[in-house]
Amino acid sequence: MDLELKGRPLVSGIKRGTALVSKKPLSFLGGVDPETGLVTEKGHDLFGKSVKDVVLCFPHGHGSTVGSYVLYSLAKKNVGPKAIVNETADPVVVVGAVIADVPMVDKIDISQIETGDTVEVDGGKGTVKIVERKKDCT
Amino acid sequence: MHLTAEEEKIYDGEQGWAYQTALKILVKLGDLFNAEKLIPIESSHVSGVSYKTLADAPIEFLEALAQTGAKAKIASTVNPSGLDYEGIMWSFLPRHVKEKQEKIVDLYKKMGIKPVLTCTPYYVSKPKQGSHLAWAESSAVVYANSVLGSWTNREGGPSALASALIGKTPNYGLHKSENRKPNVRIRVETELKSEAEYGALGIFLGKNLVDKTPVIEGLRYPRETDLKQLGAALASSGMTSVFYPCRRCPKKAEKLEKLAVDEQSLKKAFEDLSTCSGEPDMVFVGCPHCSLNEVRHVARLVQGRKVKENVRFWVCTSRHVKAKAAWHVQKIEAAGGKVVSDLCAVVTWLRELGVDTLMTSSAKTAFYAPTMNKVDVRFATLKQCVETACHR
Repeated sequence: MDLELKGRPLVSGIKRGTALVSKKPLSFLGGVDPETGLVTEKGHDLFGKSVKDVVLCFPHGHGSTVGSYVLYSLAKKNVGPKAIVNETADPVVVVGAVIADVPMVDKIDISQIETGDTVEVDGGKGTVKIVERKKDCT
Repeated sequence: MHLTAEEEKIYDGEQGWAYQTALKILVKLGDLFNAEKLIPIESSHVSGVSYKTLADAPIEFLEALAQTGAKAKIASTVNPSGLDYEGIMWSFLPRHVKEKQEKIVDLYKKMGIKPVLTCTPYYVSKPKQGSHLAWAESSAVVYANSVLGSWTNREGGPSALASALIGKTPNYGLHKSENRKPNVRIRVETELKSEAEYGALGIFLGKNLVDKTPVIEGLRYPRETDLKQLGAALASSGMTSVFYPCRRCPKKAEKLEKLAVDEQSLKKAFEDLSTCSGEPDMVFVGCPHCSLNEVRHVARLVQGRKVKENVRFWVCTSRHVKAKAAWHVQKIEAAGGKVVSDLCAVVTWLRELGVDTLMTSSAKTAFYAPTMNKVDVRFATLKQCVETACHR
């Protein structure tokens, strides 16, 4: 059976995609390139990775509140994440998800999710279902 | 969160996408912080204006909102931009930068937000004591809560904008009296002699308190400008949004956790705000933007003197205060200084102006400029700033 993690519903919508998991807080203003969706924050564990079409899992946001607008720009240019999963949501990311219309859930133990897993986020119910574990390369 | 029938309609999109999105922002924030309802506010102050700090980030969203014809429902103002209205900055910037900056301001204007570009909106229109606000500039938030007796959370740019369009804010945090009570007692054991020392105290406390609410005792006769500097600094190095200055500790606060600030820690905090001791190419006063009193004070200090040819001496304030201070502005400009409006040195292009070393009496500027502007900073009292800027 699929593993289902139960969290808090924040922004409704159901999306399925590949998880991209970070252990570090993320700042959208200055941390993600609004044109390409690449993470540009130096020293970040997602540096150089793209947030395009992934289910983006990170502890919480940080930095300028204008970061919300970056999430909007990413969505309009189709280089934004499909869904967002946080441990503890902060206002910057929640507002960003609202205006960009990206499903979002928090209060999730993201250490249960690995980059490459296929997950389904239900922002209305507040659940993250792990549909398929990352395939081993061996 | 409980919504009124009218709010429900907006939430369902009956008044269009812009108001719906604005209300959704407020409702989601309210849910996040357990607010039970929205409450009406007197005014909103929106951050997110300078093209230097934001680049293109807000433009698309602001454009989408403005296109719908949505307008602010209450008195609303915005933070300073990277351009002054007299055009001092123009020749130093590429055309597209100037156009983008003007576009951002125009989009706010289109939404009925007054193009009063200042971080001290309270000098333009003072909120009533006890009024609820949704303000986003951190120094103005602390000032409103601590000096004016108004009630506001530390909003972000988007939430303050949403509040401007709806005229309300979610009822949580500092809108509730139980969250405004002090929970730490600060004893200042040294006499503070200048507004710069009050600023240094603010930086020290912000770092140590994080987000606690202090009663600050031992401040003898703080002037309005001293409290403004203290609050602005407090909000720069920490998340504190309200403080209570007093000469003697009120009985109720006696049992709180204590923190003493002695002469030595204050001196260190003051010195740590400088990154160099070299000659400045710019001396900057007016962070937060000057009051009429402060402009008058600077005019007195520079009267009959001459600013050095290789130094820019800037006094930043709102257009509103500048107009009222015309006589003092004349004196400052006669001495070779410049009274600059709509702009703040920290959010403009200082490197493009050729500034390597900035001297200031603002602890907030000293705290931010090395990272935000990549300049060296000399932090000093206003008097020392004027002494350094002018010929002997």
